[in-house]
Amino acid sequence: MTPALEFSGIEGGYEPGLPILRGAGARVMPGEIVTLLGPNGAGKSTLVKAAAGLVPVWAGRVTLGGRDITGMPAHRMVHEGLGFVPQTENVFANLSVLDNLKLAAALVAKRRRRELAEMFALFPDLDRQRGLAAGRLSGGQRQMLAVARALVASPSVLMLDEPSAGLSPKLVGVVFDRLRAVRDAGVPILLVEQNVKAALALADRAVVLVEGRERLEGAAREVAADPRLKALYFGAHEEAA
Amino acid sequence: MLQLVADGLVVGSVIALGAVGLTLTYSILRFANFGQGEFMTWGAYLAVSALALVLAVTGAGVMEPLGPFSFGWQLIPAMALAAVLTAAIALAVDWALFRRLRRQGNAITLVIASFGAALALRNLVQFLYGTLPEYYTREIQIAIRLVPRDVLGGLRITPDQMLVIGLSLLLVVALHVMLARTTLGRAMRATAMNPALARVAGVDVDGVVRATWVIGAMLAAVAGVMAGVVGQVRPMLGFDLLLPLFAAAILGGIGSVWGAVLGGYIVGLAESFSVPLFGAEYRAATAFLVLIGILLLRPTGIFGERA
Amino acid sequence: MELIPALSYLAFFLVFAGIFAVMALGLNLQWGFTGLFNVGVAGFVAVGAYASALLTGPPEPDRLGGFGLPVLVGWIGAMVASGIAAFIVGVAALRLREDYLAITTFGIAVVIQLVALNAQAITGGPFGIQSIPKPFADALGAGLAWNLTYLGLVVLVLGVAWWALDRLVASPWGRVLRAIREDELAAASLGKRAAAFRLQSFVLGCMLMGLGGALYAHFVGYIAPEDFLPVLTFQVWAMLIVGGSGRNAGAVLGAVLVWAIWSVSGGLIRGLLPAAEQARGAALQVVLIGVLIAAILVLRPRGVLGERATVSRHAAGD
Ligand SMILES: Nc1ncnc2c1ncn2[C@@H]1O[C@H](COP(=O)(O)OP(=O)(O)OP(=O)(O)O)[C@@H](O)[C@H]1O
Ligand SMILES: [Mg+2]
Repeated sequence: MTPALEFSGIEGGYEPGLPILRGAGARVMPGEIVTLLGPNGAGKSTLVKAAAGLVPVWAGRVTLGGRDITGMPAHRMVHEGLGFVPQTENVFANLSVLDNLKLAAALVAKRRRRELAEMFALFPDLDRQRGLAAGRLSGGQRQMLAVARALVASPSVLMLDEPSAGLSPKLVGVVFDRLRAVRDAGVPILLVEQNVKAALALADRAVVLVEGRERLEGAAREVAADPRLKALYFGAHEEAA
Repeated sequence: MLQLVADGLVVGSVIALGAVGLTLTYSILRFANFGQGEFMTWGAYLAVSALALVLAVTGAGVMEPLGPFSFGWQLIPAMALAAVLTAAIALAVDWALFRRLRRQGNAITLVIASFGAALALRNLVQFLYGTLPEYYTREIQIAIRLVPRDVLGGLRITPDQMLVIGLSLLLVVALHVMLARTTLGRAMRATAMNPALARVAGVDVDGVVRATWVIGAMLAAVAGVMAGVVGQVRPMLGFDLLLPLFAAAILGGIGSVWGAVLGGYIVGLAESFSVPLFGAEYRAATAFLVLIGILLLRPTGIFGERA
Repeated sequence: MELIPALSYLAFFLVFAGIFAVMALGLNLQWGFTGLFNVGVAGFVAVGAYASALLTGPPEPDRLGGFGLPVLVGWIGAMVASGIAAFIVGVAALRLREDYLAITTFGIAVVIQLVALNAQAITGGPFGIQSIPKPFADALGAGLAWNLTYLGLVVLVLGVAWWALDRLVASPWGRVLRAIREDELAAASLGKRAAAFRLQSFVLGCMLMGLGGALYAHFVGYIAPEDFLPVLTFQVWAMLIVGGSGRNAGAVLGAVLVWAIWSVSGGLIRGLLPAAEQARGAALQVVLIGVLIAAILVLRPRGVLGERATVSRHAAGD
């Protein structure tokens, strides 16, 4: 089966000569949620940003459903079916909820455009706040809007960078519950998370990234039970290798 | 008294229109474009040439005044043509200069570059057209007395001046609707807020940048023509308006269209009222006082959110 | 080829290059070392020129001054006056985003130009100020000897300014300045003190520009508003960009190079164009130099000498 999304040997970074990603790889198969874990500064955000076209990729390949999209302008990737929700500032604060969604919908071809009503059905909270500037939403509503904004372009894969950041445990539950629904509706997800326990409970598989390379990969349940996971997080990765 | 208000509103309308273009380019292209005034100058001069062309093509020779106005219908296509050509100049400068500097990633280099480009554009006008003022028409207009002299000093205004006020409002409303209701408008607002997010949401940011240049330059060109209609077309037309433009845009809050309009009126009125107080020769310093005042008191402007 | 006129012209050329170099050093302190964007160079130069002219000139019945003070007092006064103007602008604009400083300095230059043009009782209006004393001219006359003497003075001033700036940049003060420029975190952690450092650098830079104005006034002997148009600001910027900012040597080399290009192209236009077309030719000259600067910005952003980027890092966009 062709992976929905695959990174192989990605090298890249913000400034020439200062690599953040050193050969990182990961794959997401159709129908699964893969969580990308790793300590702070491991390069998780950089990896998904590089895949989305926001950080230069110096070497390696990104394929979407088997097609090579490496180095494609970010906005074209959206048309190709890549959905991305960044870690911070992931909604247009000066636009209303409705305008956030209308814009995202209008930018893709008609066949990809989903009905706004579908989004409001998935996220009823947003329905009540249509006219509100997105900057005024609560943290949880903002994450929902960010996800809805990506979904309205019916991506074939969704990459999310720490959607649980700053949310109460209860809200994390709600957001993750929505993500499960998204996956069940047929959109595979790559989920960057700090919230290891919740992420492993949700995900089908997990990849652990340390210093720009994947160091551990497997079924979420196995990774959760693997003693190396803790070691990787606490910087003892030399022994873990 | 009333007369000062009217004069201020006429000047303020020209400033407002220029400032709207400035605030738009400022918030989306993310630099203070010192060339915005020169787009006004170029627009005004290109309209002089375009008018000659239209008159030659239609074989009219001289312009018959249109209704109560001092100019004929020929100025309308001439203005449209000038606006299109000004937009082309803006795109060309962006292509040759700003695009490359944006890639180098230094926002403030763009400001220096725009300062140099402004000087070059201004001197190119002087080289091509000379320094003597030009007029669209030599027709003398009779001012209409709207308010008799015994009420607050009375008020006289020419049809041309009324047109300037009306047309600038009309264009601003059109721009507002475009920004609020169309995909391009939403994409522009989104790019102003967060260009990286705009890209991953599917916005072709390069396209938005081009659209912004086109809109900003066309607004400037129309403002320049209007300044020429109620005054004269001079090489320094835009340069002299640059400080008022910046003052109005900052006063309104960078990125805010209505803020720029209000800022334009305020600066225009302040200039108008400064004349009896400090004399006409210091009129141009008023915008600076407004600017310093707003920077000291509320640097984000009236409607501004971003610092 | 006659030697004396050629030498005399060379001295004349070098005096101007030296005066521009003093201004470019001031701009380099602001831009190259601190990342401050000053678009009002011409204004601060004008303040210095007028201040020194008023302080040292002979009394005039229908104008303030002159006070007939020694030239040295005029030069110091020029620096003080420009420093005060810079302080006022800096306080208003320096704590805000950096491009607001650009706009505000642009504004002050416009206002200074207006005052120069209209405040007849102080500045002499459009006719400016005549008979500004030329130091040692009584003893040396107006020929080559005086040109060379003044060149010596300018070189001395330039040398002192260069030396002082070098010392300053190497001092703890300079290191803090660099830290502020290179590292936003450092700047943020210094908070209010970072703003004070920026203000000091801005004022010092403008004082050098004022001194440059005074040097100009006493060399030419008369000044008028049209000596301080925005094109002057542009020239000084061109010098810094061509030479490469961030190094004093770059500023000085740029001053010589750009002034040479400017003089030669001006001479060509005067030689080639009929009298009636001279004004248009001058306009074309500015266009060509503008294009040159743009090309250097795009193609050689570090200048001909510069190792460092023309633009300080903290100015980089998000
Ligand atoms: N815009 C940037 N410019 C330069 N370096 C950056 C930038 N963003 C991140 N970095 C650097 O890249 C490295 C990896 O950062 P990244 O944000 O990818 O980590 P992360 O794994 O997402 O961490 P976290 O869990 O804290 O979000 C860090 O060393 C960071 O300092
Ligand atoms: Mg991250």
